[in-house]
Amino acid sequence: MTDANQLAVDASEREGPSPPGHWLASAWAVAAFQLDRLMTRPRLAMALVGALFPPAVMFAAIRTAPLDRNMAVVMIYALIPEALCVLGLLVTMCPVVADELERGTWIHVAIRPGGRRSLLLGTFAAAVLWTSSVAVTGLLLTLFIAQLTQPIGLAAMFIALIVLSCIGRAALFALPAVILPKRALIASVGVAFLVEYMAGFLPAVVNQVTVSLRLRSLLVEWMGWRQQLPVEMMLFVDMYPASIQIIAVVILVMVLLTVACFILNRRQFPPSAEN
Amino acid sequence: MSSPPATPSAIEVTDLVKEYRGSDGSLVRAVDHLSLTVAAGEIVGLLGANGAGKTTTLRIIATLLRPTAGHARVCGFDSQADPVGVRRSLGYVSATTGVPDRLTARELLTSFGRLNGLTDAEVSSRVAWLIDTLALTSYADRPAGRLSSGQRQRISLARALVHDPPALVLDEPTNALDVVGSRSLLDTLEHLRENGHALLLSTHRLHEIEHRCNRFVIIDAGRVVAAGTRSELVGPTGDLESAFFRAVAGGISA
Repeated sequence: MTDANQLAVDASEREGPSPPGHWLASAWAVAAFQLDRLMTRPRLAMALVGALFPPAVMFAAIRTAPLDRNMAVVMIYALIPEALCVLGLLVTMCPVVADELERGTWIHVAIRPGGRRSLLLGTFAAAVLWTSSVAVTGLLLTLFIAQLTQPIGLAAMFIALIVLSCIGRAALFALPAVILPKRALIASVGVAFLVEYMAGFLPAVVNQVTVSLRLRSLLVEWMGWRQQLPVEMMLFVDMYPASIQIIAVVILVMVLLTVACFILNRRQFPPSAEN
Repeated sequence: MSSPPATPSAIEVTDLVKEYRGSDGSLVRAVDHLSLTVAAGEIVGLLGANGAGKTTTLRIIATLLRPTAGHARVCGFDSQADPVGVRRSLGYVSATTGVPDRLTARELLTSFGRLNGLTDAEVSSRVAWLIDTLALTSYADRPAGRLSSGQRQRISLARALVHDPPALVLDEPTNALDVVGSRSLLDTLEHLRENGHALLLSTHRLHEIEHRCNRFVIIDAGRVVAAGTRSELVGPTGDLESAFFRAVAGGISA
């Protein structure tokens, strides 16, 4: 039988922060768990529909009228790093807390040391991996149908845009997911519309903190369109080099995830929230 | 991070108050200056009607809620000052098991072992030990969706023990269980007590725990209305249920 002194010894052994890397392992454990959850038939069917949507649109467009290369690239950009990635992340990132509350697993995760942070970062990783995989599959099919010149270069560029879009938007949707877990989907649609697609096109300081500005600017630079861009279109892109755009997205992601982790660590859910 | 003081109680709740803001804006006091202790090697039954404040108290102890006033300590760690210390020292079992249908017990325990920061070697030895000790062997590799409520609750208990905590809080763990599952789970809890664990158990099924708990704390409207051993509450005759009703009606002083 454990006596009180033994208990105090045990307690002292439980002090101190987790060794470095343990929190990454914890986050990865959550990511693996979330990816397993995404491997259900309905979710896989959703992924298939998502991946087939851009090539279907491209096929229909080509059949209707011949597309020049630049127009096809703009269309792929609108369909995949913008529309498909945003939709995929709405499905995978928004329910990060709401799902756990509904399934009764929130308390079991939240009571672990670093459990809330691991839940957020693990779900973030799973959402990015799942959505990127769907988007890259859709991209490859679309490029195959579009039959554009230099397909490998285009594929590399779009994969980079997809990854940046996914990490940026997943971090963005993490905020409504932790602030308004039960209305995260609606709130995230609002955030996507207001922040990404309205503020992102305002030629003002506010668009500097949007992912859409960075992605557009990267597309313009990597396609070599900067010199040909009409003056009025210059307002909608940032003229700094690609490295700055990528660093801006990474900083934005780190800030958003830090804020989301801080909020989630402070959140209290009364027992009634789990019904 | 604060050092844990040597403490005679594994779980110690002092003058705890928790107020919620109601949907109409009014302040609702769910826990009202509640104090209790649980020592190592002891099972304490936390009894009360629905809405008495049992779950809120357990969740404050488990760092899931912050108290409005007062303190909750687990193995000397304060739930507010050092929540990580509390989380490393405490296991939590709830009525809703939250065991995903698709995962097997082994997968779930491995996943939660990693979530607790255990190394791969620690996880595999701990999971093997839990599967053996809690008699999960026959269904450890079957998806939880195909298991009975009792089996799922045993997996939930194993998950609470995966990081070897000295203290456990259990919120109505036998609610969804039949007689067999319930007895089996409570036998396991007694075994944990014999091994020196401190257990704080909330339940409505008084007859099940009447002879299993060392002490009882009866609460009503967030306040302790009676506390003591079975013989102190019940007296030479009668049963715990009658004592409970007397206490809630104000007949027994704490």
